[in-house]
Amino acid sequence: MPRFRRRRLTPILFLTPALLLVIVYFIVPLALTLWIGFTPLRNWKIDQLFEYAGLRNYEAILRLAKFDPDFKAVVKTTIVFVTATLTINVLGGLLLAIAAYIIDERVSLGFRLLWLLPRMTPVAIFGLLWYYFFYKYGTLNEVLLKLGLISDPVNWGTDPSYLPYSAWAIIVFVNGLVGVSYGMVIFYSAFKNIPREIITAARVDGAKTRHIIMHILVPMVRWHIVFVTVWQLLSLLTSYAHLYVLTSWRVVDSVYGSTWALYVFNTAFSQTISNQGLAAAAASILVVIGVGLGLVTLRLLRFEEMMQIPRGEV
Amino acid sequence: MRLLGGSLRSELEEPLAKGWLGAVVIAALTLASLPIIVTYTLLVVTSFADKLVVSPWTDFQVTLMNWKMFFEGRLSTTAAKIYTTGYVLKMIWNTFVVAAGVTGVVALTSIPAAYTISRMNFRGRSPLMKLLILLHAFPGVALIIAVYAMFVATLKHIPKEYFVLYSFVYVIVARASLEIPMAVWILKGFFDRVPWEVEWAAIVDGASRLRTLYQVVLPVVKPGIAAVAIFAFLAGWEELIYVLVFLPPEEKTLATFIDSQLGSASLELAYLPVVAAAATLYLIPTIVFFIFTQRLLLETMAGGLKG
Repeated sequence: MPRFRRRRLTPILFLTPALLLVIVYFIVPLALTLWIGFTPLRNWKIDQLFEYAGLRNYEAILRLAKFDPDFKAVVKTTIVFVTATLTINVLGGLLLAIAAYIIDERVSLGFRLLWLLPRMTPVAIFGLLWYYFFYKYGTLNEVLLKLGLISDPVNWGTDPSYLPYSAWAIIVFVNGLVGVSYGMVIFYSAFKNIPREIITAARVDGAKTRHIIMHILVPMVRWHIVFVTVWQLLSLLTSYAHLYVLTSWRVVDSVYGSTWALYVFNTAFSQTISNQGLAAAAASILVVIGVGLGLVTLRLLRFEEMMQIPRGEV
Repeated sequence: MRLLGGSLRSELEEPLAKGWLGAVVIAALTLASLPIIVTYTLLVVTSFADKLVVSPWTDFQVTLMNWKMFFEGRLSTTAAKIYTTGYVLKMIWNTFVVAAGVTGVVALTSIPAAYTISRMNFRGRSPLMKLLILLHAFPGVALIIAVYAMFVATLKHIPKEYFVLYSFVYVIVARASLEIPMAVWILKGFFDRVPWEVEWAAIVDGASRLRTLYQVVLPVVKPGIAAVAIFAFLAGWEELIYVLVFLPPEEKTLATFIDSQLGSASLELAYLPVVAAAATLYLIPTIVFFIFTQRLLLETMAGGLKG
């Protein structure tokens, strides 16, 4: 009998520490964020947490979307940023993976690691690299001056005459460099799982390398392409650390360098007037989109296949 | 495979793009990688130069001046000392404390949880795993508002002399929590691969579940634990936003130090070669882990998401 009780107790005991943190730092904050969206909380006056403001914050978002040019710019920037970066991440990742797969494996290891470097680099350093590159006396202007393409150095990300496109190009470029490695790694490992005999058979039948790429490699990773697209879409909608650095260091314009996620962060944590009610309402909209995309990902992962019942317990 | 003849076997191992095609692909890859190679190189070179090295033809002298200035707390050639050496060392220590703290919390919580999900059958096992994947995909920006509200609300009950300690513990636990879903997910994959017979033998011999885990299973999944620990350490080491939000402004890490140098308030003051020295120092652990764990890193990233 005591043995039986221990069997029931052990899973609970082992799961408790992780579950506790997940509840305190995911579940509770999630519910709290949804709630704060209905309160007038401003400037972290915590007492206002218990006041109910109805739909006021959501109405404010609608009003901003209608009348505020800066907010409209944020919405536009979010759409452009997510679409363009997603395209780079998926197509670029696929190109990198194909290139890495068809060349000598030792050479490709070097390239795959090099492309992972931006992902592993602390945000502050990666931001600094591109600060050096794009700022007025930085690398880009130096090269363009040398080539005679410009006569005076330009603040590429903030000069009004090039906005919004220059700011958009910079944020897409910087985030693309970080994001592209994810697709590369997933696609490359999927290529490696294709039985080599299939490729050899095609070779024997006279297929050229480009035929093998178009008719074997790409079709075989169709499912992975869908998965990477959904997963990266989710991560692009919600990540903001690199954008925070680029905008607050004035590498890019603060309006045309802000996406919805960064707008949420800045609204909540602004040094002057911060509005957590509004920020939480804007965040709640991201939550709804995020949960939807997350559920799609779960279906794509063919979840049930991975959760086979442990043998020893049957 | 074993049945294949000699010529076919070499065909199997040869790269698809041979000869000039291979050379063209490698050249294209190199060209595409130039932005990465150039910017990282310029950063490291600048940290050893007497001026900002912005291009391959910049004329500069090699010097250790920037490193010396950084450790002395002098942030520009003209200005007086802003920080003390002790403060700079404290900054590095703070960065380490956050990283090590995150590693500890993630390891202690996710190892038993992943073991349980992989090895024991209990009600709610499958929904729990689903929940963890969903959470991993969760918008962190939606959480940080509430997590900070909880911080502000609890801070009232903390005696003043413990504010700093409390904010360190809070930032470590809060940041570590974000890593738990992914860590459990990766570790479950490693536990799944341990032959059940190994463990069963120990349990039949009368060992408890905890002892079995500790003495029999853990040694087998060492690579998985290493992977999770390294990911957690780097996540804590690189963290900027959480440290910026939760730690008091005078408690800096290398990330918030760099941010404070380039943030809008002090833009005119920043002497970039010294910042480059700080950034190069900050980059070292990342590069070291990177070199020593390259294959593990590539495999875990690809495998972690497929279970």
